[in-house]
Order: sequence, then C-alpha cells, then structure tokens
Amino acid sequence: MKKNWMAGAVAAALAVSMTMGTVSMADERTTFTVGFDAEYPPYGYMDDDGEYTGFDLELAQAVCDLEGWELIKTPIDWDSKDLELESGSIDCIWSGFTINGREDNYAWSYPYVDNSQVIVVAEDSGIASLEDLAGKIVGVQAASAALELLSEDGDQADLAATFGTLQEFADYNTAFVELQAGSIDAVAMDIGVAQYQIKEKEGYIILEEELNSEQYGIGFRLDDEELRDTVNEALLALVEDGTVAELAEKYELSDMVCLGEGILDEAETETEAVTE
Amino acid sequence: MLRSMGIFALTLIFSLPLGLLISFGRMSKNRLLRTITKIYISVMRGTPLMLQLLVVYFGPYYLFGMKIGGGYRFTAIIIGFSLNYAAYFAEIYRAGIESMPVGQYEAAQVLGYGKISCFFRIIFPQVVKRILPSVTNEVITLVKDTSLSFSLAYAEMFTIAKQIAASQTTFMPFVVAAVFYYVFNLVVAVVMEQIEKRLNYYQ
Repeated sequence: MKKNWMAGAVAAALAVSMTMGTVSMADERTTFTVGFDAEYPPYGYMDDDGEYTGFDLELAQAVCDLEGWELIKTPIDWDSKDLELESGSIDCIWSGFTINGREDNYAWSYPYVDNSQVIVVAEDSGIASLEDLAGKIVGVQAASAALELLSEDGDQADLAATFGTLQEFADYNTAFVELQAGSIDAVAMDIGVAQYQIKEKEGYIILEEELNSEQYGIGFRLDDEELRDTVNEALLALVEDGTVAELAEKYELSDMVCLGEGILDEAETETEAVTE
Repeated sequence: MLRSMGIFALTLIFSLPLGLLISFGRMSKNRLLRTITKIYISVMRGTPLMLQLLVVYFGPYYLFGMKIGGGYRFTAIIIGFSLNYAAYFAEIYRAGIESMPVGQYEAAQVLGYGKISCFFRIIFPQVVKRILPSVTNEVITLVKDTSLSFSLAYAEMFTIAKQIAASQTTFMPFVVAAVFYYVFNLVVAVVMEQIEKRLNYYQ
C-alpha cells in the first residue's frame, strides 16, 4: 500500500521534470521576455489601469513591433535578476539597468540613457553638499548601482565611510517614505527616478553634486550576442524614425536619452568617407 | 487577488493529503522510511520557504542544465508551498494520531475491523476534530505567506500593491492590502470555527 503511493509520488515528480524539459529553444523567435523592476518609474511601473508601462517597456514594445515578436513583460524580484536571466526565464534585463561596474557580466546593448546617481534630501534638512552627509543615515536600494558605488570597493566608498549608516531598502518607495517620515536623512538613487519622486512629492531636492555619471543599457546573457545585435539594430532604426525621441519626450527624459549618439554619427562619417 | 487565492487553494489541496502520507512515513515501523521522512520534515521546517521556492524554480537549471520556461513559474510556486506546508501538516497529523488511546485500536480489532478501515472509520475522524485548531493556525499563516511568491517573480496581490505604491508614491495600497489579508483570514477563521462546531457532535 505504502509502496504504491511512493511509486506514484516518484512518477509524478518525474512527469513534472519532463514537462519542464520540453520548453524548446525556439530557433524562430516569436516572443521576447523582458525582465524589469516594476517599482522603477518612469522606466518601468504599473499605470493607473493596472498595465505595466514606462519608457523602457514602451521602447521594448517598439522593438518587438519592428521584429514581429510578442513582448512578455515579466516584473522580477531585483535581487534575483541574475538567476532569472541565467536560467533563461527572461531574455534580457531592461529596467534602467546601469552598465558601469557590470561591463563584463552581461552582453550589453548600446547605452540608451545617460544617467547619474544623485542624493535626494528634504529641502529644509540643511544638507546642501555631499560633505553635509557626514554622520547622517542614507538610504539606498539593495542590489542597485548606487549601492555598488557606496559599498566598500565602490568609487564613492570614502564618502560612504563618512555616513552614519548606509541603510538598504528593497525598493525606492519604501526608502522615500522613510525619508518623509524622518527616519533617514537622504536617499541615493538614479536621477530619473529621483525626478519622478520629487515631482510627486513637494519639499524635496536633488543635491547638485552628483555621485557619478553612468549609462543605462539592456543586459543580455553573455552567450546571447545574436539577440543583442538584433535588438541593437532595431534600436537604431527606432532612433532614425523618431520613435525614441517621441518616447523620451513623453517620459520627460529628453535630456538623458543618448541612444544613437556617436554610433549614428560614426556611421554617417563612414558613408561620407565612402562617397568621397 | 485571485492569484493569491489560487496559491492558497491549490497549496491546501496538495499539502493536506501529502502531509497525511508523510505523517504515516514518520510513524512507520520501517526504519528507513522513518528516517527519510524525519530528515524531510527537518529540512522543510528548518530552511526559509523563500529559499525553497528559489530552489524548486531555479534548481532544474542549475542542477540539470534544463532551460526553464515561463509556464513553470506557477507550478514551482505550488510545488514549493505544498512541500513546505505538508511538513508542518505531517507533524500536526502525527500529534493527533498519537494522542488516540491504544484501547480504541484493540477494541476495533476485537470487533473485526481491519487495520485500514479501523484507521479511516474510527481513528481519523477523531483526529481531524482534535487537530483543527492547529490546522487553522497554519492555514492563516499560509494566507500571509502567499506574498513570498514574488521571489519567483509571480505578481500576487501584495506585489501589485507595492508596485502601485511605487508608481503613485502613496502608502494607500498597503492599507488596502492589509484589509484584504485581514478579511480573508477572518473568513478562514469563521469557516474553521463552523467546521469545528459541526464536528463537535458528541458534546
């Protein structure tokens, strides 16, 4: 009796593992699965209708329209992004993803946004420069580029050493609520997200001194350069037909979007050289 | 919201029977079976559920190199939750079964009941009555644990609340989430109380 159900359980476990194995490696790509942090406006977030949207996702949609793929938007737990990518659950990380410091870890697309890491404080906090942060409690998102900068081997490790505490949060919204509640003094974050937050809430400013400047790219698996190249081509096509500029304006990122800069100029000079 | 309820319902459907099977193994006369189930319960209770979910979902890729597709996400969540909760339920069943006096088995044997029919006709109905309050505890914990499924990028109710909170930069979605959990658990508690009353036919 007992042996029977044990055998049944083993059979069931096997059946499950078999069905997992049948997910094909799709020679002919029909879908494009984008992993993103859904708590990262204006790049990726949930709009009032409960749909996922944002600059990154609309751009991804435009790429899919061009290539004839179906876009699958997968909001991921930011801490598990590498597990999701490595295991093939998602095709790329496209979520205001900072290239700097991670150059060798992913196959990167062309950089598409010039970003900087900044500090947000309350207007009346009396903090006006990075020096004023000495002894203060500074919040930062876990596994973020800002945290990388401020951690021991980062470029701003000396600055971080002057902080009272560097407090990690799962998402920026919680950090910002703590800032409002006064339990932390400042939050280190990406400038695009910072602008979105202070637009929604009054009484907060971005310190003029920036922690660094960096660029966003789309991260693919290192062995997936083919897909990366296809997306790159599509992105350039979207720059030329004006879609990228349109989206940048819609999300108030016009000053920051850098896609095609340099790359297109080079291509033009090349063609000029040929005609000459 | 439906997604949280889906996890809740499917986990109960699979983990309650599985828990009973494991409790049999735990009380088995076969030493090997007893040791295996003992280790199983120890591991399942001794490691975080979030970690178990990650292992169930990403394990096939990292251990066997299988590519995992999107469809496995929900299956992995149900497997992870069911395996974990079955371990807790197994110990609750065991407590209930071992609390039954030996005299009942002897009386049943004298009356000509076989081992299996003795268990299912005489012992088990009484066990269910005794363990209901402990089961209610676990079920209520399960309602709140559903939020852990976001570690596998499954956007259930609490994750959605967090995402709305982020885009609207308010705290209201959390209040709504809290009310939802409370009401859900209130319903669970009331239903379990009714079941307890129904089963209380000897008093």
